[in-house]
Amino acid sequence: MSGTYVIDRQEHAGKLILMVISSLAAVLVIAGLVYATGTSARHQAALAAAGCEPSLFISGFPCTTEQMIASQYQAIATPATQQLNTAMAAYAVNEGHNLAAAEAGLSAEVATEQAFDNSLAAMTFTPQNRATADALIQQATSTGNPVPSAAAIFTPQLTAIADALIQANENLAKVATEQAQSRSLTQMRSFNHRIQAASATVQTEMKLIRKALDSPPPAG
Amino acid sequence: MARSTGGRWTGEPLAAYDYQPTPYSGPDTYQPGRYRDDAIHTPKREKAPADDHQPQQRAAKSRLDEWMEVDFKFGGSRIKRKAVALILLGAPAVLPLFFMLPALITLNSNTFAVSVDDTLGTGAELCLFLCLLVTPINTLTGQRWFVPLRRWYGIMMACCAIGDATAASITDNFAGGVFGRLAGHVFELMGFIMVMLVIPLLITGNPWAQRKLGRYWKMLHRLIYVIWGLLAAHLMLLEGFGFQRGSDGSGFAGDGDPIFHQRFYQYSVCSLFLLTLRLPPVKRWIAARQKEGRNWLVYLTIAPIFALFLFGFIFIVNEEIFKGIDSFTEHPSAE
Repeated sequence: MSGTYVIDRQEHAGKLILMVISSLAAVLVIAGLVYATGTSARHQAALAAAGCEPSLFISGFPCTTEQMIASQYQAIATPATQQLNTAMAAYAVNEGHNLAAAEAGLSAEVATEQAFDNSLAAMTFTPQNRATADALIQQATSTGNPVPSAAAIFTPQLTAIADALIQANENLAKVATEQAQSRSLTQMRSFNHRIQAASATVQTEMKLIRKALDSPPPAG
Repeated sequence: MARSTGGRWTGEPLAAYDYQPTPYSGPDTYQPGRYRDDAIHTPKREKAPADDHQPQQRAAKSRLDEWMEVDFKFGGSRIKRKAVALILLGAPAVLPLFFMLPALITLNSNTFAVSVDDTLGTGAELCLFLCLLVTPINTLTGQRWFVPLRRWYGIMMACCAIGDATAASITDNFAGGVFGRLAGHVFELMGFIMVMLVIPLLITGNPWAQRKLGRYWKMLHRLIYVIWGLLAAHLMLLEGFGFQRGSDGSGFAGDGDPIFHQRFYQYSVCSLFLLTLRLPPVKRWIAARQKEGRNWLVYLTIAPIFALFLFGFIFIVNEEIFKGIDSFTEHPSAE
């Protein structure tokens, strides 16, 4: 076999290899580009298949299902609403004749509102909450357990609504605190219209967050 | 059989094929070593009479290398353009380690446990590919000014891999103590072997060791190809041979690009380019086309393979930046 022939054969082999691989690569690149055009549709489909609500999906974060986040919100909102109703009822009964009892009712109202705010803040999209949720998810994944509902956090969009609710609730708690410091029942009742206005704002924000979560109003 | 000077090549300039028209006296067999050297590096070729675009092309190549050698004034000192280019191209290789720095300073075990594999592991993969990219680019362009980057990327690859293994041995959740965390699963064992192999390369990755080891140095550093192969096994097993999805594979729920995020696929498309341009027949074909002054044909043929390489590489870089920034802010992503 001559050296020239070997050179020729080697070059020919090189050409053949390159042609085959290059053609394959061209097909793969085109296929990849075509595949890339369907990214958005696949994203939506993948979320739906996993039971994730697209509006609740956080990029770079494992999917949070609508059910998880709604039940987590309900777990906060339902007892808070019940306690609040009880405290408001106690105030309504006593505002006409018993200053101390009315004050106690208002203090319970304030405490409930603050607890609700704190619980809601723990679900907002903050770096700290995200890290906590990540750690919970990581732990659940490594041990093979289901992801706990405590790992559910709001998206940045939902966090904006939750922040508005927290702010409205803080405002309500502030007015209720001032009301509880009243020296007379008359002075205490004079706050009622301010309380109603602040409560209406809270109700509006709660409706917004329930709508975003597609969650029913809390019982009680 | 006498060496043929005609046949299929009749009419084509012999000089362009690096043919040495000396009387043939040796065995009528192929001598790979001699042939390869001739095909890839042929000083005589440059002296051969020009029959096409060869001289301009070679001159252009050497001009860029020469341009890189020129000094320029910066502040009170003179710096070579090449040095600036090498620093700019080499600096990104530090990023994986830089991303983990805050977690190291604050001893944030959560960040290490969750994302060190993604940040340093992917960083090591990127550095390995960049290290392996130097030779094909040299083959294609004929330029040599960027060759020092090969060592730098290799060193950074070793640092990332060792850092990844060290952190995994301390913070991973696998049972079996340090060894269990390092080699308790087959994919981990592959990674562990890779790290063990990379250590001697890191130790001997300097001119002193190169001098001391002589011809054995090159043989030793061919271990990089073993590491390259083991990485395929590591990634293949890590993500269920490229088919697994979810937390143990790519594509968490909501991922619209599960195929692009499969690490094994990314590895494969990047390796295709790096491997193809290392095949002797391919190198020979490229060298012959370059000698003919038909570099455009080389670029045209290689373009789809390089595009595929870029396709995969971009997704690896995206993964590194995404996970790296999460690690840097100490809010690691479990995705």
